[in-house]
This record gives sequence, C-alpha cells and structure tokens, in this order.
Amino acid sequence: MVTPDLSASLGGLRVKNPVLSASGTFGYGIEFTSFYDISRLGAVIVKGLSLAPTAGNPPGRIVETPAGMLNAIGLQNIGVERFIGDVVPRLEDFGATFVANIYGKTEEEYEAVARRLSEVPSLGAIEVNASCPNVREGGMAFGATPEGIAGLTARVRKCTGKPLWVKLSPNVADIAGIAKAAEGAGADAVSLINTIVGMAVNYRTRRPELSNVTGGLSGPAIKPVALRMTWEAAKAVRIPVIGIGGIQSSANALEFLLVGASAVQVGTANFRNPRACVDILEGIEAFFREEKIAKLSDYRGGLMVEKNP
Amino acid sequence: MPVNRPRFVTGRILRNEGRGEIFYRIEAAIPEPLRFVPGQFAMVSGWPGNDPLLPRPLALFRSGGMRGQGKIEFVYKVVGRGTALLSGLHPGETLSITLPLGRGFDLDQAGRTYWLVGGGVGFSSVFPAAAVLSRRRNGFEMFLGARTREHLPPKQWTPGGKTPGRTHFCTEDGTAGYHGRVTDVVLERMRALSPEAVSRLTILACGPRDMLKEIAVEAMQRGITAQVALENHMACGFGVCWGCVVTLWDGDRTAYRRVCREGPVFDAKEVVW
Repeated sequence: MVTPDLSASLGGLRVKNPVLSASGTFGYGIEFTSFYDISRLGAVIVKGLSLAPTAGNPPGRIVETPAGMLNAIGLQNIGVERFIGDVVPRLEDFGATFVANIYGKTEEEYEAVARRLSEVPSLGAIEVNASCPNVREGGMAFGATPEGIAGLTARVRKCTGKPLWVKLSPNVADIAGIAKAAEGAGADAVSLINTIVGMAVNYRTRRPELSNVTGGLSGPAIKPVALRMTWEAAKAVRIPVIGIGGIQSSANALEFLLVGASAVQVGTANFRNPRACVDILEGIEAFFREEKIAKLSDYRGGLMVEKNP
Repeated sequence: MPVNRPRFVTGRILRNEGRGEIFYRIEAAIPEPLRFVPGQFAMVSGWPGNDPLLPRPLALFRSGGMRGQGKIEFVYKVVGRGTALLSGLHPGETLSITLPLGRGFDLDQAGRTYWLVGGGVGFSSVFPAAAVLSRRRNGFEMFLGARTREHLPPKQWTPGGKTPGRTHFCTEDGTAGYHGRVTDVVLERMRALSPEAVSRLTILACGPRDMLKEIAVEAMQRGITAQVALENHMACGFGVCWGCVVTLWDGDRTAYRRVCREGPVFDAKEVVW
C-alpha cells in the first residue's frame, strides 16, 4: 500500500503530518536533534517567547502527581531577539517547520512580539499563549472570557500576516464559546488545552510544593478533559482545532483526531521519552496502513455517536 | 565508537540486586558502550504504566562493554514509588534510559590533589571520579558518610577500596569508622591544611544539601576549590522542561540555572547557598 497522506492544513500552514511538539515541553527544538531528525515533525512549537528575556519563577517549579505533573516554570525564556538571532538559523539548518508561541504582559507586548516575529520568513505560524496559568501576565486575564480572547486575538491579528493560532485555557466554563470568540476575531486555528490549574501541598512541612503555590497540571491525568474540550471546540468552529493534553501514544493521538482535531501537540510525553513525537508519528502511519486509510481527512472527525447529547 | 551526545536507549536488565535493603545496583545491556564524565547522570524508567509518570535521575556509576554491546550500571536507594518499582524489576526486563546527561566533575586540571566526599547515596557520583583518578594514579582521598554501617556502600564497590588509608568511613551512630558526621571530618581536615596544600586541593562532593553547603562555605572561606553535584526534581533531564533550576550567582546578580544541563556539578562558589 502507498504511504498514507498525513498532511494537514492548519490555518494557512501546511504540515506534512499532524504531530507537533507542544510549547514549553520541547525547548527551542535544537535539544531534540541528538535524538532524531526534527524536520520529520509536522511542526516544532518552541517555548513561549516574550519581548525581553524572562527569569521565570524561583525553584520549586515542578512536582509529580498521579499520572501527571504540576509545573510552575513561569515562562523562563531567552526573549524574541535571541530567538531570532541564535535559534532561528539553527532551526532552518535542521529543516524544521517551526511555530513561535508568544506571550506578553500587556496587549502591546503581544503585538510587539508578533510584529517582530512576522519579519522572520521561515516562521510557519504564531501561536498566542492566552492561557498560561503560572504568571499573572501569562495571558489568563485574556484567555478566561470570550471578550478577552476576542480582544487579544483581534489586536495580534492586525500585527501579523502569519497564520495565527490561539492556544486556549481549559480553566473556563464554556470552551466552545471561547473558541468561537477566537475564530470570530480572526484566529486561523485554535490549539487546546493548556494545563489545568492545580495545587500540591506537603501536610508535614505545611508548605506548598511549588514556589508559585499553584501550577499547571499536565500528563495522562488530564487527557479525558482535553479530549472532551477538543471535541466541543471542533464542533463549534470551522477553523482547525489542534488537540493537546496527555497524549502519550499514537492511540492517544488518534483519539484526538477522531473527535475532530486537525493535528495534535505532544507535550509532557517528551519528558519521559525524548522520541515520543516520532514514536507517535510512526504509530499513526502504521495504523493508517493497517486500516488501509489513504489520508488523514478520511479519518479525522469520524467519531460515531449514536445519539448526540 | 562511544558517543557523548545524549541518546535514548532500551536497556536489558542483567542484574538488579539489593544490598541490605538500602542500596540497589542495577546493570543493563545497552546497544553501544558509553563514555561518560564522572558526575554525569541518566534518566531511567522501566515500570509499566503512567504512574509514576517521570523517569528517575540516577548517577552513572560504571560503564563497560565493547563495540556493538555496551553495559551500564547504576546504584540507587529506594526513596519513593519510582525507585521502589525499579527495585522490583528482574533480569531480562527492559529499562528506558536517556544518557549521558549533564556536566560532570572537572578532573582535568594538572597538578591537583582531590578529596572526594560522598554523603549517603552521594557516593554513587564520586566513585566514578575515584575510578578515573585511580587509573591516572592521581592522588586522592575519599570521605564517605552515612547514618549507620548498613548505610555505607559495600567495600567491594569502592574503587581502590583495597588501598588502605585512602578511604575514610564515617557513621553518625558510630557503628563503623569515625563516629560522627562526614561533614565534620572534612571541615576539620580543611582547617588543618597548609597554604600550599590549600592551593593544590580540589574537593568534589555529592550528598545532602546541608553537607554540601557546610563544605562549600568553609572551602570558599579558605580559598579551596570545590565542585558540588546538586540534586533536584527533574521532569526531562536534558534541558527542556526548565523544572530543575537552582539559584546561582551571575556576577553580582542571581540567575536560575538548570541542574540537568548547566549542572549537576557546579563550582561551589557559583551556588547561592
């Protein structure tokens, strides 16, 4: 059988397959080149970038929880200028399709970062982080309501001709409404979910485990929530939905594609298996061959529900 | 050819033996021999399922083998669910291992004598340094501390352990060697050094943070070079999660640096204690 066509269109960015690395779990991509050829991925999404370098939160940043982990890194990053100067040429050399995740303390900062990155011809898309739970300015203020998301999306939209993705928070009541607001304001795609706000404390020392007290939960523990939200968002919007949350295997990735995701992002799985993204990609290819599915669109969104609730 | 860039391999367990229910020594066959710097580590998992989710950082203890067939050994202490599950694995079962990781001890400066200090399971980082120094016939003394005799590494694990007078054992309960903390032994010896000895000495230490801090502070006051191997919770071990940072001096300011990447070995002067 011929190689299945796994390509997907993600709001103006054509990717050769639907396996992307999730921002914040993949460094700047270069770190993974000792494990495999990163140009094999649909896209590499780099760690969230701000206008200036950011120090992040004090130590006490991660804690393991049942089938998951909490993090409160605080968006430590090298800033947009060093990214463009030092990292972009290397990503180009490796032949990677790459996407920049951005955040700002203010809407103006989001605009400035988006404008600057739009000058990078090789950049595939911009993903707006409207959902980091770990810094006060990390976008949650914008991401929590449809009005907030619409306002931020519209402003960034005016600053860039790049495909614009908006990464949504699960810490909301109505994810469909939020996704629609992003779509209405000009987003080319939405990606979801970011981490779920959680907390861990030590009952003996009587202290929180994280210096930030609360953190973002990721890993297999959040997958059912992520899958439900991806399904709800995919039903609500016409733009592509990129599913994220607890994907550990090709089976998990296929579940997200089945409920309507156009692509997936693999996050925490990269920590325990640096080859997770390519393992998942190979697993999807094998499944399509085995099931004689010719192309991704023949499978995507094909969930069969007897009676729609 | 041994490869030094990090790689992700499957290891087949050759043996996994407990010593007095405290330390375990696990040996696995890996596809290629590994060259590592003492102090470097690996991320290791092997238990089925998603819980615990993350691999565990273990110091690289010993490597061997030849082209096409490598061998790697780790020593670990059961401290939680991950290491407990690790201790239950049998020969023939597989491990997922990312290695070698981090920056190890700097043993390459000419004309140095070394003190190697291991507190608790910290010996697993300093024994490889002892092995390298023994091979080079470079002078060193080793100081090993533990709560009790049972918490000391078995003699047969100690590189150059047959050379008397080189290794000083200390137990807090006095059941073996010097009765007291290894920290106190090292501090006392530091205070008795001649200026000439001070200038030639490098201390390499791995163990509880309090031990490292006391040794580092004394070393700084006396102008003794010291390198410390730090530990922290880690998700990835190869620099992408940014979860394992510690606070270091960066000129007169401070900065967060990754234990897994810029460390785990740091110059004692760099660390904000």
